[in-house]
Amino acid sequence: MSSISDRRYTRRDTVLFVLCLLLSIVGLFSPVGLTYRLADGLRRSVLSPLVWLQTRAEEGRTSRVRFRVVTAQRDSAAYLAQFLPSLRAENERLRQLLKLSHRLNTGYVTAEVLHQPQATDGRTLLLSVGSSQGVAPFSPVIAPEGLIGVILTTTSQSSIAMTWAHPEFRVSAYTVGGNALGVVAPSTEGGSGEGSLELRGVPFRDSVPLGTLVLSSGLGGVFPKGIPVGTVVGTIREEAGWERVYRLRPAANPGSVPHVMVLVGSRQPDLANAFPSDSQLDAMRQDSLARVRRADSLAQAARASRARRDSLIRSSPMLGGAPASMRPALKDSTQ
Amino acid sequence: MSAPRATRIQLLLVMLFLLTLQFYLRPRLGSARVSPDFLLIGLMLLAMRSGPGAGAVAGFLIGLIEDSLTPARFGAGALAHTLVGYFAALGRAVFFADNMLVNAGFVAVGLWVRDLLVLMTSGTDRGELITQLTLYSPLQALITAAFALLVLVTFRSWFSIRLDS
Repeated sequence: MSSISDRRYTRRDTVLFVLCLLLSIVGLFSPVGLTYRLADGLRRSVLSPLVWLQTRAEEGRTSRVRFRVVTAQRDSAAYLAQFLPSLRAENERLRQLLKLSHRLNTGYVTAEVLHQPQATDGRTLLLSVGSSQGVAPFSPVIAPEGLIGVILTTTSQSSIAMTWAHPEFRVSAYTVGGNALGVVAPSTEGGSGEGSLELRGVPFRDSVPLGTLVLSSGLGGVFPKGIPVGTVVGTIREEAGWERVYRLRPAANPGSVPHVMVLVGSRQPDLANAFPSDSQLDAMRQDSLARVRRADSLAQAARASRARRDSLIRSSPMLGGAPASMRPALKDSTQ
Repeated sequence: MSAPRATRIQLLLVMLFLLTLQFYLRPRLGSARVSPDFLLIGLMLLAMRSGPGAGAVAGFLIGLIEDSLTPARFGAGALAHTLVGYFAALGRAVFFADNMLVNAGFVAVGLWVRDLLVLMTSGTDRGELITQLTLYSPLQALITAAFALLVLVTFRSWFSIRLDS
């Protein structure tokens, strides 16, 4: 009995196997169009849940990849945004330097300031230009705001500048009104000495009002005339009957400048025009605004014609407006 | 005496689980050439617990699914899986099919043979065939066998049945 069952069982298995094999071979040798249609039909009907599952999985995978890409882009943008304010500031500063270079008639070289991580940074600056660019000891160093210092020593590719904050720095200077002449040096008054200058040797009879601009006088042959040095902000001391010493707010801060200009070659006797005062800058700004307004005459004409057309429409009943005589009545009725 | 109804349902659940893994997890695993073939695991485990006829039918159906979903030559997958399912069920009598490592080995060999048959019947060129059979198929076979072992360990009691007994 058992052997008969086994034989039946084996026969059934063989039949199933041969059937499956035949179907597979039929599929293998069927025309391509027919098999594509068959596969398409299966995908649309029985296999549709599996296709849906696979689609979701694929979406999940690509979403993850997209998420990674977006995250990387966001991180890059955040990283760049960190540098945006400093880039803007540097850009603004370079623009100022460019404007100054157009106004200067003397020879100059631009230099990067290589700041040193020390407390004395600001008294001396290491510059990225040297004797091969024409820089020599005692060449003046300026920034768009005013005087920075003077070159102390040079090598072929670099140089060291002594800034106005250095205890040995001196520059002959005069006030813009021309009523006082003196020597500017770093302030030695305790506490605030590091960040301010003093104008010494002003005769006791010459008083200088607060806010007066102090420029280099050109005496001594080191600094050209007319470079802003600072602004008078107060009196430090008076030596009775002899001299007054004034405190100055420096025009340029050597501790924060990233770029400077070193004046080389033949010296211009007066650089005052290269450093226009606040009032001059304001005049220049107003002038440029006036020029822009004049250039905008086309836009003005268009505005005027638009206004005329609007007023015509408002006053013409045929164009949907109310005549001028009706307007007060209309206004009354709305009130 | 046939297997209890509860055990058959448990086996069906495992097969559904493997089907879900094949279509939901496998696309997320990176390279399809070496990621585990969960459908083949299901086929081998089922065939080794049933008769050759059932193994052949299961192989044919799984092959049909793969032929419908992959752009290879239609019928190649059905033929390969039918042969693999049938001979896996027959091979059970020759080897110690209750041993888990033997089961995993069956899965690895089955996958490699399946690949060989599919590649040959699909008319794959010689270079690709050699690369696939000597590099990717053995790798995929090993990974699939490892997953099969994991499934067997996890559902050990559910697989200790003979559907044709």
